[in-house]
Amino acid sequence: MWSEAMRAERQGDVAAYERLLKELADLLRRMIKHRLAQHGLGAGDTEDLVQEVLIGLHTKRHAWDASRPFLPWMYAIVRYKFVDAVRRLKRESRYRIDITIDEWSELLEAPAEDADRRMLEIDRHLSDLPQGQQDVVHALAIEGASVRATARKLGTSEGAVRVTFHRALQRLMARAELGQAVTLRGKI
Amino acid sequence: MMRSIETKNLIQDLARQAGSQHYLNAISLDWLLLVAIGFSLAIAAAMVFVLIGVRPDFGIMVQRAPFHYKIALTLSMVCAGFFFAQRAGQPDRTKLPLIAPLPALLLLALGASTDTSGLPITGNSGISVPACVGAILVVSLPVLAVILGVLRSRAPTRLVVAGAAAGLLSGAVGATAYTLACKNDGALFVAVWYSAAILLMIGLGAAIGRRALAW
Repeated sequence: MWSEAMRAERQGDVAAYERLLKELADLLRRMIKHRLAQHGLGAGDTEDLVQEVLIGLHTKRHAWDASRPFLPWMYAIVRYKFVDAVRRLKRESRYRIDITIDEWSELLEAPAEDADRRMLEIDRHLSDLPQGQQDVVHALAIEGASVRATARKLGTSEGAVRVTFHRALQRLMARAELGQAVTLRGKI
Repeated sequence: MMRSIETKNLIQDLARQAGSQHYLNAISLDWLLLVAIGFSLAIAAAMVFVLIGVRPDFGIMVQRAPFHYKIALTLSMVCAGFFFAQRAGQPDRTKLPLIAPLPALLLLALGASTDTSGLPITGNSGISVPACVGAILVVSLPVLAVILGVLRSRAPTRLVVAGAAAGLLSGAVGATAYTLACKNDGALFVAVWYSAAILLMIGLGAAIGRRALAW
């Protein structure tokens, strides 16, 4: 059935392909959540991984031999992408800090009185940046979108988004004399 | 919640690309590999021609048994490399074709054990070994780049194995081209030092596979 949809995709059948991707996404979501737990990782990265695997399957769809079963091929790709991502997540987890709610409130309490002034300041600094950097910072730091989504939205590569973001951060930090911009760094 | 909306948008974006493919991607891996082998063999042969030059007695050489042995051996290795690379480029084919290198191994054993030419294993001159191994490595490098490029366009999931397969194939193609210039006719020399050069290429391919083939 999914092989049918894969063949339909090659004929340019958008609807069939979209249905296939949706069903795959549902399957992947369940599978990845379960497997992440097995690896002792939180479910928070599930959706990121689902997207990553979907993009992988999409970019390699031509490599599937239509005369062979689809499922073993798909699972091999899912496994490859998953192992890759787990390796990355475990590496990144060393840099992540899990802070309890109490500690957070302690951290946030102190500057509460001049929060408005800070927001204004951030806005003012942001508007000094070139338009391209503004877009990226806005998407990543204020809307909270992922790097991939931002790259897609702005029509560039993930690498370019990362580079732009870091340049913007450097500029902001130079202006704000360190301080608030540092907290954004952990995101990338 | 926001993330799953993002996924929905992503799916729509991807679905809209249905049916659009680069024309090279429509070619089967088998054909692409065969074309790549022919193309890179031509490059390797041209490099041998320019860098070393063919043997002075080329016309006589091609009619004699030592050359036939070299060609049979290196082409059987090309075949083995082809089947390994072809499997390594398809994620669902996890079993490697272990019969594929059998003809090459038989030829190696046969050549090494029945060599009655009396020619020394280290070749005609003091620099025969490094010259032979070095030349095969140099002409194999562009071949390796081409083969890795072909595998990259597909979906290799065992990168080290795929890199090693690409190394075997490129070393074998490079060795095939080098037979045009090789001045050592001892079967033992060929069996030992051609294999050594190809093994080095396998090692190189495996070493760079993880990075070069990642997607």
